[in-house]
This record gives sequence, structure tokens and C-alpha cells, in this order.
Amino acid sequence: MKVAYYSPLPPSRSGIADYSTLLLPALRERVDVIVAEPGRRAPSADVALYHIGNDPDAHGWIVDALRRRPGVVVLHEYVLHHLVAGITIGRGHGRAYLDAMERDLGVAGRLLGLGVLDNLLPLLWETQPERFPLSGVVLDHARGLVVHSHYVAAKAREAGYGGRITRIPHPAWQMDDVAPAADVGGDPLIGCFGFLNMNKRIPEVLEAFAAFRRDRPGARLLLVGAAGERFDVGRRLERLGLTEGVDRLDYVPEERMWALMAACDVLVNLRHPTMGETSGSVIRALTLGKPLIVSDLGWFAELPDDAVLKVPVDEHEVPTLLAALHVAARHGPVLGRAARDYVRREHALPTAADAYVAALEQAAGGDAVADLVLHRIAGAAAEVGMADVTQLARAIRESGLL
Amino acid sequence: MRVVVAAPQVPFVRGGAELMAEELVAALVRRGHEAELVTVPFKWYPGTRVLDQAFLWRLVDLTESDGTPIDRVIATKFPAYCVRHPNKVAWVLHQFRQAYDYDRTELGQFSESPEDRATRRAVERLDGVALREARRVFATSRNVADRLQRFNGIEASVLPHPPQSLDYRTAEPEGYILSVNRLDRAKRIDLLVEAAKREPTLRVVVTGEGPDRERLEGLAHGLDGRIEFTGRVDDARLADLYARSLGVFYAPVDEDFGMVPYEAFLSGKPVVTTSDAGGPLEVVHDRETGIVAAPDAAEVARACAYLVQHPDEARTWGAAGKAVAERVTWDACVDALLA
Repeated sequence: MKVAYYSPLPPSRSGIADYSTLLLPALRERVDVIVAEPGRRAPSADVALYHIGNDPDAHGWIVDALRRRPGVVVLHEYVLHHLVAGITIGRGHGRAYLDAMERDLGVAGRLLGLGVLDNLLPLLWETQPERFPLSGVVLDHARGLVVHSHYVAAKAREAGYGGRITRIPHPAWQMDDVAPAADVGGDPLIGCFGFLNMNKRIPEVLEAFAAFRRDRPGARLLLVGAAGERFDVGRRLERLGLTEGVDRLDYVPEERMWALMAACDVLVNLRHPTMGETSGSVIRALTLGKPLIVSDLGWFAELPDDAVLKVPVDEHEVPTLLAALHVAARHGPVLGRAARDYVRREHALPTAADAYVAALEQAAGGDAVADLVLHRIAGAAAEVGMADVTQLARAIRESGLL
Repeated sequence: MRVVVAAPQVPFVRGGAELMAEELVAALVRRGHEAELVTVPFKWYPGTRVLDQAFLWRLVDLTESDGTPIDRVIATKFPAYCVRHPNKVAWVLHQFRQAYDYDRTELGQFSESPEDRATRRAVERLDGVALREARRVFATSRNVADRLQRFNGIEASVLPHPPQSLDYRTAEPEGYILSVNRLDRAKRIDLLVEAAKREPTLRVVVTGEGPDRERLEGLAHGLDGRIEFTGRVDDARLADLYARSLGVFYAPVDEDFGMVPYEAFLSGKPVVTTSDAGGPLEVVHDRETGIVAAPDAAEVARACAYLVQHPDEARTWGAAGKAVAERVTWDACVDALLA
């Protein structure tokens, strides 16, 4: 079977490019993969696989290809408002943005969209995208859906997606021996990796860490990742008196990131609101067997309770995070072992690649098979005067046969 | 208890699976239950036919019969275990192996076309749904249980069954190696024929019928009658052939279970098999209950010659096999299936 593969790839600096770098070799061992490139002719294949995320620069061309030829969509994030705004308003097609808003939210959505276009309302993809996911734009063209979490599967169903949904856990990297970076340290060293912004709860992390450091003066916080626009980390650190206890690094290459993570005693990966995303950083932390603290929502809430510590997003978030930091620092090895066992069990790369092949095979030939079988069964029923075969069709679907 | 044994039927083909289903019904009746065999013909080709044939079982209503409830359904093979029943027990002899371990081998049936690949997936999904509905899943061998785990993630308990009822006895060996099997390529009787060509002291009796007979007889040509093809034989003759044999050859490719080793053991005979035979290796242990040879004619020839040259060891291994086979009883099977 030939698969046309659409995804951002390195040097694109995105989690989805990293994901494809990990997945592609395993997939190539199982099926014939042709990687599509932006601006080139679509590869000829039995089925196409489209990796969709929220960044219009990285994924706009992929959505264009999906519209021309429906295929299997990997929904890396459920909220796609930023993507949709980019490929509509960003290309000067305001009307297409209104259509997308109407598709998901009816007339009210169209009116809200008009408010955005006329600068009467703030940009919804910046202020409250989770309320207006606009994922229908890609769901309409998906002949099968791959998601990483029950959370996104449920959201897609709520949005009326009726096709086959396959949940494939984010595969883990095979990194058994990573030498910790020697140029960072702390007692303990707390790590926080990824884009630094409000959405990652960085203010809450800094506040909890400031309190933690009062109890553990040797503690240090390592922040790795670029800071978001209008998010002044330096000023926040000054305000909390943390200029001495925090180390900041901008984007680091993959190998360096692993070494830095391996040097940490505890990792923190919070967020709110969730866009339905998974986190490559979380998978890396689990792979390394690090005690990890996450927010109790979305995909993160589906992680096992014995492997990660979960912090609810509520008015007690900071004190709960502080308590979690103490627990993680004290019981690191126990949590780390459970994390590593879990990721080996549930996030194995060969299992994920097998599941992709199953989803692709179903999308490539499933409809033709269903038509053939249903045609014969319906034909047999019709020959004896039964024109209504709804009941048969229901039984077939229920059996998982088609 | 009213029990239905559900098994597919391939018209004009009769083998171990059919015997097992009949023997199970008889064992249930002996234990005082009402038991009945229910079959539906099965034709698995071409293309997507396997799915509508399987789906026939979904439409069979075995919840009650003539107003009286049926308490349990014991299904033995794909696609019979697709039947719906609140108290279904699957005792799996075979899945549809073309969709699993035979796929992409010469024994498979699905090509690389998107339709064939999707059909194979549909069989896999159907197995997942049908077997997870069962209150218990048993497999007749570790080999079958491992395959269920590997391909479908389904846990099955291993429950072997006794072989067919024959008048098993042990007589003085008359120096021949016996093959009891359907004559088709997957059973690899050609290994034994080729072994006889290499080892001039070897005499072979091949029972059974099948599509590979003509080819096998051609292969055996020129061996001065050292290979006898008996065709299908009746129960009395079969028991007699077992009793007077020196040992029994049985080496299909990755067999699910295989009753022949049990029949050989109950006749006090050792078994020659190959290291890739699958299920038989669960009871044929090298130099304990027979010989496990590499799957090539020279090794099989050497193993058979060893039995010819060492009749005392052959007798000892046969007796050890008998002790193994006698531990597998229908009573134990019925207890497990109705628990």
C-alpha cells in the first residue's frame, strides 16, 4: 500500500515535525511512504495521511491538500482556530472565515466572525480559541481520524464527526541512556520545557517555585523555550525575587534538550486552557522516568495517577503545585519507575506504527469492502422482498464487521 | 443445561475440528446435559466473501429453541464464534489464519490491494468484537492462545482436548513410520517422503486424502513400495495402524493444536515432529516423548532412522507420551467450559 504523507518536517521547529521524524522510519518498515512537499505535485498513492496542527505556516498547505483529496487526518490539536484564521483571513479570504465560523456555530458564529473582521471584537484565536475550535474545517474532509487522546475523540464526536476514529498514543522515543547535562544543577533542579506563556501557566509555576525555594533554598528552576509575545519573563522573575534561582535558555537542539531534561530532578508541564494537544515534552519526561507534574485536564488528565502528579486548574492551583513539588522531590524514584513502565507499555513506537497501518488500510479499502458486503446482503434480502435493510446494516455495524 | 456447540462446516471436508465438535457434544451428553451441534457452511473466498459468510453467524439466534432457553453456546472456530449469545464461551481451535500468521505467506489469501488489506482488517475487528463478547475464551493450545494475545490482545486460557475416541492399544512395532493427516501442502508430508528417499531402511505408511495426494505419490515413485498410501481408513484400521507403528510423523507448519500426537501417545508411540510445528511442540518434547527435528528432509530422515535403530527408546518415549495424553480428559474440558 502506498501512503502519501503530509507533515511539517525538520528543520521546521514544531512538535509535529519531531513526531513525524520519530514515526516515519517505523511506518516505512510497514508500508510504502511517499513524503509530500509544499509546492510540489501531490504524490500518487492509495491513501493520504495529513498531520494537522494549529500553525497556519506549518499546516496551511496540508489543509489545502486535504481539501483536494480527502484522507486520514491526524488531529494533533483539537482547537484549530489560529490555523483557520491564517488560511482564510491571512490569505485575504474573510468570507471563508465567516463560513468556518458558521459551520461550527451557526448564524451566531457568522455574526461573531463579522465582528472580528470589522475590528469590533478582539481576535478570537488569541483571546478565547478554545470556545471556537473550528475543527469542522478539517473534519469535513477526513475519511478517518487519528487522535492521541480520549479527550479529542470525544470532542470530535460531539462536533458530529461520524467516521472511524483511531486513538493512537503519542509514541515514545527510545532513549535509555541519556547523559545529564553537567552545566546545570540544583537541589533539586526543577525543569519546565516548551514555549513560555500564560497558557503554560508560567506565572503560577514561578509563584509556586518562589514558595518552594523558601523551603529548599538550594532549589533551582530551569526554563527552556522561547517566551511568548507580550510575556516578559524577566520582569516576573524580578518581582518574585527569583533572579538568582532561575536559569533561562531559549530554543535548544534536540540532543541538548534530552541532556537538560535528564539533569532535572522534577519536571513541570502545566497548561490551561487546553487545545486538545498532547505534549512531546511530557512523553520525553516519562521516557526518562522523571517525576512529572501536569495539569489535571484534557489529555494530561488521562495519564495514570501513579505515574504523574496532577494539579487541578482552580483557585488552589499554586498551593497544590507547591505541595506537588515537595512530593515529587521526595518520591522521585517511585514516580519515575511508574512513568517509565507506563510509557513502555502504552506508548511503544511499533504499536503506534501498527495502529497507523490499520487506520490507513481501513481508509484506503474499507468503503469498497463495506459496499461489496452490504450489496450482497442487501441483494439477498431484496430477492425475498425485503427492501428495508436498515436492521441488517445496524447489525453489521454493531459487529464491527464494516 | 441446554448447550449448543457451534462450529462451521466445510461441506465434504472432515478433519480434526469436525471430530472435536462431535466429541464435545457426546461428552456433554454423557455428563447429563442436553447438547446439540449447530453448523453453518463456510466458504471463505473469493475476496470479501469471508465477511458475509462470517456475518451469517451474527444473524443466527441461539438464545432459545422452540420456546426453551439455550443456556450456553460453546463456539469452536472462526466464524462460528461470531454468533451472539449472552452465555457464549469461545473454545478457539482456529482463527481465520489467512488474516493473521498466514498473511503475506504462500498460505495467505489477501493481496496488497487496498480492498484485500481492508478485508483482512475487517476480519481482525470482527474477531475483536466477537471474542470480547464471550464470557470466557479458551484456546486449544498455547500456540493459539499466544496468537490471540499477539494479534488481538485477547487473553485466552489454554484448554487442550482429547483426541477422537478410538480403540487405542499398543502392539509390537512392525518397523514403519506412520503419517496420519490430510494430504495438503501445509501438512508437509513431503518432508517424510523425501526422508524415505534419503534413508533406505525407512518404511512409511501415509493415511488420509487431500489435494496434494497426486504430487506426493509422484514424489514417492521409485521407492520400491517402501511408501504405502492407504487413503482414508476407518477407525478400526486407524487404531491398528497406530498400534503396529514404530512411531508417528506429524509436522505441519505452525499447527494450532493437532490431535495426532495425542492419538500416537495413546497408542504408546513416540512422535517425530519439527521445530517449527507450533502446537505439537507443547507435548512432543525432544528425547522425552519423541524427536523434534529441524524442518528438512535430512533431519527428518535421521530422526526416523534413530527410532528404527533404537526401538527400546522409542518404546520408552511412547510410554511417556501416553502418560501426558491420559491427563487430558473430556470431563476436565466440560467442567471448564460450563463453569
